[in-house]
Amino acid sequence: MKKILGIFAAVGMLFSVGVQAGEFADQSIILQISDPNPFKQTLVLNVANNLIKHYGQDKVNVEIVAFGPGLRLLFEENANKGRIKSLSSAGVKFSACKNTISAMAKKLGHAPALNKVAVPVSAGVVQIVDLMNKGYKLVKP
Amino acid sequence: MINKTIFKKTLAAAAIVAGLSAIQVAEAANWLMLQGTERPGAAGRAKVWGFIQAQYQKDESDPFTNANGDLYIPPKLIGPNLTSQEQFNVNRARIGVRGTGMPLDSSVNYFLLAELGNNGITAGSGGDAQISDASITINTDAVRIRTGLFKTPGPEEALQAIHVFDYINFTSVSNQLMLERFQQQGETNTAGAGGINLADTNTNSISGYSRPVGAFRDTGVQFFQSYKSGKWDHSYAVMLGNGNGLNFGDTNNAKDVYLYWASEKSYGGKGPRAQGLKIFAWSQSGKRLDPDDITTTDEQDRTRSGFGVKYLNKPFRVTFESMSGKGMIFQGQHRPDDSFNDLTAAGSYLDFGYYVPKSKWEIDLRVDTYTRDENHGTSAVGDESTFDTNTLAAQYHINKKSRVTMSYEARTFASDTTAVNNQLKGVSNRIAMQLTHIF
Repeated sequence: MKKILGIFAAVGMLFSVGVQAGEFADQSIILQISDPNPFKQTLVLNVANNLIKHYGQDKVNVEIVAFGPGLRLLFEENANKGRIKSLSSAGVKFSACKNTISAMAKKLGHAPALNKVAVPVSAGVVQIVDLMNKGYKLVKP
Repeated sequence: MINKTIFKKTLAAAAIVAGLSAIQVAEAANWLMLQGTERPGAAGRAKVWGFIQAQYQKDESDPFTNANGDLYIPPKLIGPNLTSQEQFNVNRARIGVRGTGMPLDSSVNYFLLAELGNNGITAGSGGDAQISDASITINTDAVRIRTGLFKTPGPEEALQAIHVFDYINFTSVSNQLMLERFQQQGETNTAGAGGINLADTNTNSISGYSRPVGAFRDTGVQFFQSYKSGKWDHSYAVMLGNGNGLNFGDTNNAKDVYLYWASEKSYGGKGPRAQGLKIFAWSQSGKRLDPDDITTTDEQDRTRSGFGVKYLNKPFRVTFESMSGKGMIFQGQHRPDDSFNDLTAAGSYLDFGYYVPKSKWEIDLRVDTYTRDENHGTSAVGDESTFDTNTLAAQYHINKKSRVTMSYEARTFASDTTAVNNQLKGVSNRIAMQLTHIF
């Protein structure tokens, strides 16, 4: 009986892995934002939205990697937080560079409060390289 | 005047609403937020912006003719120069910069704007440029604090961004009651009996004020905040100012107090053209010294108050505002005289706008009325006068930043004093065309 349950559990785990969003995506795109220009924030979110709309939520992986001045997009207070929440619900991932966080913490005297959907990564540029090695294409709007 | 009790109740209700709402900054646009704050986490260090308005105006009024010849009074001449009935003008040419000095920290932002056009701001300053706004805002969750020179909380027509104003000329009530003139000691504002001869306009004193108009601005400190409650945004502002318009410094120890409340239901959009239903009320009070005798402590109360509603849900727009005031009532649109008085005045306007679907055209109609020196007995000065204007305007939006505005104002001005009324009979229509480009 235990063996049977074990097999079911293993199959279940495989199945759960198999149905993760974007697993069978046709496209995988990195959107880089490292620019201080606030207009670029709007632009990168527009591009993410357009990718989702064109390919379909399950047919494209979109990851926005923010570092340098572009990290402000992922600040908790950012004026675009409503759009970020909406895109996150649609499967878009957001990565925040830890190096930038540390640098900004020195200037601010405290670490910037980040959006809940932001996932800290060791370095923004490393995250981009790693994703490109997995077949992602890099786009910098 | 708005009854003080009503205003207190309004403020009490505002406090309750504010208390019920979580400290959640409203995202919908309003003038307090648009002009005094930046988008958190999304503002640049220095955004250069501005606009230019080039215009042509023609006044069709007839002069008042007597033994001294053909005489004119201010509403028959094109401002700010008041030297002709027809002219081209660069009415406004403003350039400014705004943003957050340290983009990583959205808790502090600034706003700087200069006027280089030819209007009441620069015509009175004696120079070609005048700082119209210079402010710093500190933002906290509980309250925002704006200090410096900026637009005071007040009527919609005055508080709104002028580059999206749907007409070319202000209503009479805004122009005469709210747009404060600052007379200096020794300056006169008279036109003599019956008006002035056009040949004398360059030397006469009807536009002789050396200081700029108030431009609905003051230097001081403003506490304000905006709260979101469901589909509604509630905003308040409390400001203390010098009561000296664009002029830096103060002329007395008394400070002007400005109170403002607005509640707006958003219908979408953002920025200056955001759509919604807004209701608002405001109050201003202060004291002014006698410009003819500033060596004394002779002070005069100046109070203004009003309320209104604005509905904008394309393709329709409807705005109504009512304003009233007591003390320092400007005597300049006919029989120019000293404004140091305790007279009363009131006015209102109703505005309709129709954005023609699938086109770049917008049609506007505005009906405004203003009664100066209400219920004042006929006398040499301070006679009750009424200014009624119906304005038909059309706007062609070339693009989001450029538009042409054309307006035709049908004016009916009258006074209960025969001599003055004879002058006002000749006030006729005014045609204006203006090209606006925002950058």
